[in-house]
Amino acid sequence: MEPILLIVCVLAGGVLASLGVHLLPVGGAPAAMGTATGVATGTVMLMLGAAMCGLFTAASVATFSGCILIVSLSGAVGSWLMMGVTMLMANLLYVFGTGIVPVSGRVDVDPITGESQKEYKTPQCDGHGVPNVSYISGMIGALLGGFGGAIMYFALLNYANFEPTMAGVAAMGIFVSNAIIAAYNIGGTIEGFQDPKFKRLPKALLTCGVISLLCGVLVWVVADLGGLGGVM
Amino acid sequence: MTVGGGPVEEEKKPEGEGFTFPPDVAQLGLISAVIAIVIVIFPGLPAIIKAVGVIFALLWGADSVRKTSKYGLGTGVPSIGVLAMGYGIVGALVGIAFGKYVSIGTGLLQVQPGVLVGVIAMAIVGLISGVLSNSEKVIGMKIPGLERGMMELGMAGTLAMLLQLSIVAGSLNFDVVIDKAISNGFIAVMFVLSMMAMFHPYNACLGPDERRPRTLMVSVEISGLLCVILGIALAATSTSAWGVANGVLLMIFGAFVWGYFFVKFVRTAMREAYSVVGTGLIKTIE
Repeated sequence: MEPILLIVCVLAGGVLASLGVHLLPVGGAPAAMGTATGVATGTVMLMLGAAMCGLFTAASVATFSGCILIVSLSGAVGSWLMMGVTMLMANLLYVFGTGIVPVSGRVDVDPITGESQKEYKTPQCDGHGVPNVSYISGMIGALLGGFGGAIMYFALLNYANFEPTMAGVAAMGIFVSNAIIAAYNIGGTIEGFQDPKFKRLPKALLTCGVISLLCGVLVWVVADLGGLGGVM
Repeated sequence: MTVGGGPVEEEKKPEGEGFTFPPDVAQLGLISAVIAIVIVIFPGLPAIIKAVGVIFALLWGADSVRKTSKYGLGTGVPSIGVLAMGYGIVGALVGIAFGKYVSIGTGLLQVQPGVLVGVIAMAIVGLISGVLSNSEKVIGMKIPGLERGMMELGMAGTLAMLLQLSIVAGSLNFDVVIDKAISNGFIAVMFVLSMMAMFHPYNACLGPDERRPRTLMVSVEISGLLCVILGIALAATSTSAWGVANGVLLMIFGAFVWGYFFVKFVRTAMREAYSVVGTGLIKTIE
């Protein structure tokens, strides 16, 4: 039972990481100049930061709780907070520092609030800042990504009987590999679920599924051969 | 594939073994892989020799990063270095788990070819991820040689990680490594610094005037810094059979490598920057 649970949890973590990356508003280098929507950094840095925060909270909660749902949700909340603060601070800098309006470059009307976007977009630009729809999308992405990282951590800690540090580092290693493959799929920048690039999602899910399945099997082999017990 | 960015081929000091520094991409990969593999299966060697293996493994990784990200990944150069070390961690865990099953001899003369299972496993995972990323039907990155690049990165990351774990723990036995190198958090330092040694050279040097020998110098320089930090860790914990001298020697070696290649890099950069011509500001209309 437990090897299967372990592999399923690692698979779920990898797929959720990939899904989370597709929902984040990542602007990359153009966003650093305020000429594209999103936070001005790469996917890897955003998702790694979010996952690390999630792993910290999940690891703290895992010291006194053995419930998979509580640990995973605490990881989700950790990365949620990190992404929320990051996007808020980025928006403050964009609005009050650069003097631009947060506006989406991909859609004419915000699909959630119904606000018009097109008039506020500077010509020749891909949008600016983090508009409402991207903010909400980013929060959902961080929630899913953090949940994925934490569920992986929990599985490595309890089903594979890894040491806490080893479980954290191994979860981070598998998580970033999947996040990077997902980042290659979106080609570096994405606005959120309203972006046309979001339709490429199934391809990344397939690749990340294969990679995390292999990683899950390898982790099970480590736990089995390393004599960590409980998995035999 | 072009080696070096321009017609300016400065004379380079040959670095041992009769090879001019550096050999081309395939040669460097082969030489580094063989050296790192030979060093990693002898966990009883002194740390300073393992450090040479780490330098070669990271050099190989940096060269693969350069080769792959030359075509533009879309997410920046660092992503592929982080990917390599992500695979490296999983591969190193697989390696140490297999280590005790294929092991000959004991003590300083122990040979553990079993750890290479981790390297092979990550070569397979890297190859599969490369094929899926490059395939037109799946992600479709359309980067020539991405399959080979990702495979090499997985292998280089695993070898670098295994060698560093072996330096700090003084052994490649599963329980010893977990006790002395992983559960106390050293693995996080290794993770960050080895990915720096892989992605930072090309990330910092890329541009129209990028030249391969100059880029690779940065990788060796960061590996030197990594050796200093591992040396401090080793001297403080003093786990291996060689005592504190092991750590101190590693620190001195790392400081020497770092200093030598830092000076060399700055000198090369200064000399080559001399030929850049300033065009002045754009003229305004009177």
